[in-house]
Amino acid sequence: MNVLFPRTRAELFQTLAEPGARVLAGGTDLLVRLRSGRETAAALVSLDKIPELRGISETGGEGLGRGLRLGATTTHTELLAHPLVRARLPMLAQALSELGSPPIRNMGTLGGNTCTASPAGDTLPPLMALGAEVELASARPHGAGTRRLPLAEFITGPGRTALAPGEVLAAVHVPLPGAGWMQHFEKVGRRNALAVAVVSLAALLRTERGGTVAEARLAWGSVGPTVWRCPEAEAVLVGRRLSLTALGEAAAVVRAHVKPMDDVRASADYRRTVAGNLLLRLVAL
Amino acid sequence: MISRPAPRPRADALSKATGTERYALDQAPAESLWAGAYRPGAALGLAHAQVLGLDEASVRAALAVPGVLRVLTAADVPGTNRQGIIHKDQPVLCGEVIRHMGDPVALVLAESAPALRHALALLRADLRPLPAVFDPEQALKKGAPLLHPEHKGGNLLLGARIEKGNAREALKNAPVVLRGEFSTPVQEHAFLEPQGGFAQITPDGLLDMTVSTQAPFRDRFEIGHALGLNPLHIRVRAPYLGGGFGGKDGSTAQCLLGLAALHAKGRPVRLAWDREESILAGYKRHAVRLRYTVGAEKDGTLLALSCRLVYDTGAYAHLGGEVMELGMEHAAGPYRIPHVRIEGRCVYTNNPIAGAFRGFGVAQTCPAFEGMLDALAAKLCLDPLALRRKNALRRGDENPCGVRLSSSVHLVECLDTLAAHPLWTTRRDWRAAAPPFTRRGVGLAAVFNGMGYGRGLPDMAIAKVEFTEAGEFLVYNAVADMGQGNAAAFALLAAQELNQQAGAIQLIQPDTERCHPSGSSSAGRTTYTYGNALLKACGAMRRKLISRAAMPLLADELDSLELIPGAVRHIPTGRVVPLKLLAGYLTHDDRVCVAEFLMPVAQNPPNTGRDFLIGFPHLIFAHAAHLARIEVDELTGRVRVCDYLAVTDGGKVLDRCCFDQQAQGGAAQGLGYALTEDFQLREGRILTGDLSTYLLPTALDVPDVLSLAAEGDEETGPHGLKGVGEVGINGPGPALAAALEDATGTRPHQLPYTPERVLALLGARGSSRKRRRA
Repeated sequence: MNVLFPRTRAELFQTLAEPGARVLAGGTDLLVRLRSGRETAAALVSLDKIPELRGISETGGEGLGRGLRLGATTTHTELLAHPLVRARLPMLAQALSELGSPPIRNMGTLGGNTCTASPAGDTLPPLMALGAEVELASARPHGAGTRRLPLAEFITGPGRTALAPGEVLAAVHVPLPGAGWMQHFEKVGRRNALAVAVVSLAALLRTERGGTVAEARLAWGSVGPTVWRCPEAEAVLVGRRLSLTALGEAAAVVRAHVKPMDDVRASADYRRTVAGNLLLRLVAL
Repeated sequence: MISRPAPRPRADALSKATGTERYALDQAPAESLWAGAYRPGAALGLAHAQVLGLDEASVRAALAVPGVLRVLTAADVPGTNRQGIIHKDQPVLCGEVIRHMGDPVALVLAESAPALRHALALLRADLRPLPAVFDPEQALKKGAPLLHPEHKGGNLLLGARIEKGNAREALKNAPVVLRGEFSTPVQEHAFLEPQGGFAQITPDGLLDMTVSTQAPFRDRFEIGHALGLNPLHIRVRAPYLGGGFGGKDGSTAQCLLGLAALHAKGRPVRLAWDREESILAGYKRHAVRLRYTVGAEKDGTLLALSCRLVYDTGAYAHLGGEVMELGMEHAAGPYRIPHVRIEGRCVYTNNPIAGAFRGFGVAQTCPAFEGMLDALAAKLCLDPLALRRKNALRRGDENPCGVRLSSSVHLVECLDTLAAHPLWTTRRDWRAAAPPFTRRGVGLAAVFNGMGYGRGLPDMAIAKVEFTEAGEFLVYNAVADMGQGNAAAFALLAAQELNQQAGAIQLIQPDTERCHPSGSSSAGRTTYTYGNALLKACGAMRRKLISRAAMPLLADELDSLELIPGAVRHIPTGRVVPLKLLAGYLTHDDRVCVAEFLMPVAQNPPNTGRDFLIGFPHLIFAHAAHLARIEVDELTGRVRVCDYLAVTDGGKVLDRCCFDQQAQGGAAQGLGYALTEDFQLREGRILTGDLSTYLLPTALDVPDVLSLAAEGDEETGPHGLKGVGEVGINGPGPALAAALEDATGTRPHQLPYTPERVLALLGARGSSRKRRRA
């Protein structure tokens, strides 16, 4: 099989036009699927040599709209090493630090984790809670060649995205939460490394003076076909302090609404229980 | 205090750490053909089916793939087409029936790996489903589908009993009687190097194989029987293995590989199982159900034990009966019990094949007998450690099977070392300091593991040492080193006995043409049996070199000479003859010493266990006391092992580094068995067929395992040692169960202790708000 390394955007879309060509980022998901024969490719087009797809930059001015543009082929290790990611997006950093293992993090990319669109994708619950958007690039002439979509609209199902044929994920845009926002991420796997999440929870909360919750954004991984949100549980928390009572009520709402699956890693019952239980950890925030 | 000398690098450390060590398949010639098995059961979802044949069109299509040479079936297998170590019941290729989803029905030979893969993907088998049975107790019922209709016992491979005294009567009269049921799962060996090797028919008709095997000498007979070859016309070479753990004891890929070579027209052939094939077709640890009744005095003195064990051996016998034998022999624990009745049934089912695995049948019984001990301690409000100490076997005792223990027994010392350790003495404070949402628990276990083949099968090794023309020494290791470090231990023993620098000893790895039959790398026997033989051979070599040096040194009394590094020295005068010079005086035949050793067996064996063909009883045991400190997360049921201590009685310690590595590796593999390795089967189908679903513990899941030695002296051992390769895996199952009981108030009776089961122990939902156990 040919592996092609375009160096510019133009070359990229040219090579991608070949029949059966597939985009290769870190390969940590794709190579596994190709080896198993579940998927095929006539040629792999690596994004590795295209500079504009890689790296982290600040966007927006002071105040509203300030955020980070995370290039699609930026590796998990690179993201983890970035001071702004660590300081301003600790929930994402936490998710990244538990993703795979050091070799997987060295190869795997944020764009890959996003486009794989696994219900268990470790970066997806934090990105969803943070309100991330994706930047999609295509061969269409400049200006028309780029569009942006909220991540929640981009991921349409397990392994399914809104990527149009010939389109490539160029970057993920993440707004930086201002002061007063608390971030929390927890992954429950069956072991401490190289584990697929059984349940994960990303929580982004803004509290006011006295610890009252003003806004809550909760996102769970591995309990549904895509990242699962529970506005009903968020509503329970708003206007209250993060007491065990309030969190216990929200947990009960979660258990009543969540519809997880059985699989080889855990039963639906376990996922339901734990999806609720994980909220109780917020009492320590 | 136990002194800890600086670790000395193992003889194989550098080559393995730098990746230069060459394993079996690394040595395959580049021009080798590729062979691979077609196993249709998994794709068709059939665990039991009649083989009507291969679809002819699919065979034509496979043969039409460029580079595909042959598609072999059972009809192409010369000989009996039956492999197996004791029971020959497993076809090399199935021509009539497949009995589990991994059974092979065809073997493809091709010029390249892609051609082989392509052909295997094209083949189709015509299978007619047969009724199948997956539960060993169902398999024993009348009318259950029979796996081997020709087998006299139906699906019962072996039923056996070990009896001492009168357990029924004693249980009737015992002041305290407790019952318990336990179950243990299948475990995958998951060695780094999957099964495989390469082979070639030499111009003089020899089948020459280099394979990843624990039993090169015995393999010849198994392969010869299956393929109709003279076993003595088979040469097996066994370079270092990338792990074995019992899973490479007996033919894995060997018979298929030999068959491929027979059809390769003299060309070399390689056969390599990938991870999925290794899990699908490889041997597993037996899943076991255990039902116990224990009787004791009110002071905790054990009076009687009765238990019934059911071992699921899967589709073929492999070593099922022998594995169960050892499990039964250990089922009552390392305790003094006057009245014992142990019943075992080893049963065929359409599940994957179970066979040898480190802790050979014993690892399954440890959570049960230790669970009963803890239940007794709780019932009688006794300290679990004191209860074990009170009942622990000591030298001279009669063990539960009726064997008088004339060998070294230091279990009490293991327990005492554990009891004095800060991890134990500080346990209450540590437990009380649990962080939020966290329960802490501390548990211990006393375990043991017999060494050697047991009575009825001579446990012998024959060591050969050669004094080379260069004046150095070559040790012909004849027992495969699967990573446990026996080859390094042999180099060390030889260096000590010959009084040479470690670098002066070279090792040859097992090769049936160059070494003498010395048995398998198994049963904790390797370093003990071969090591004893090697010490004798090296002693003979030392005496020989001294006597051969007498003439050039003009010494008329041999006592005046000594072997020193690189030379023989005349003590009174200090004159030396360098070994290099001395080597020139000796003919080749005179430069070789061979000696054998036969492991002692139990004298006056008890009149029980008559159902066992071989292997009962054992005389020498390694013992251990393990301690685990764990944290349980109340919200998720996840378990973190914070501290782990293994105190091992392995006789005298020859090499502290290898000793600790065995304890640590055993504990790590046992922690996997206890916590993360959740082998799941549904109707014979493996749901955890790769290493992303079958979860081995990673470096982040295993704490630094602290290994201590309760050093004794096994007088029959080489420099006083006993084998410690297996005992370490027996501790984590019961120690973790005890720690979980301490943390949650409920004891798990089913391994592995998954987060889901642990959360259930905690009472599931809302548990965090329940009052904590006092």
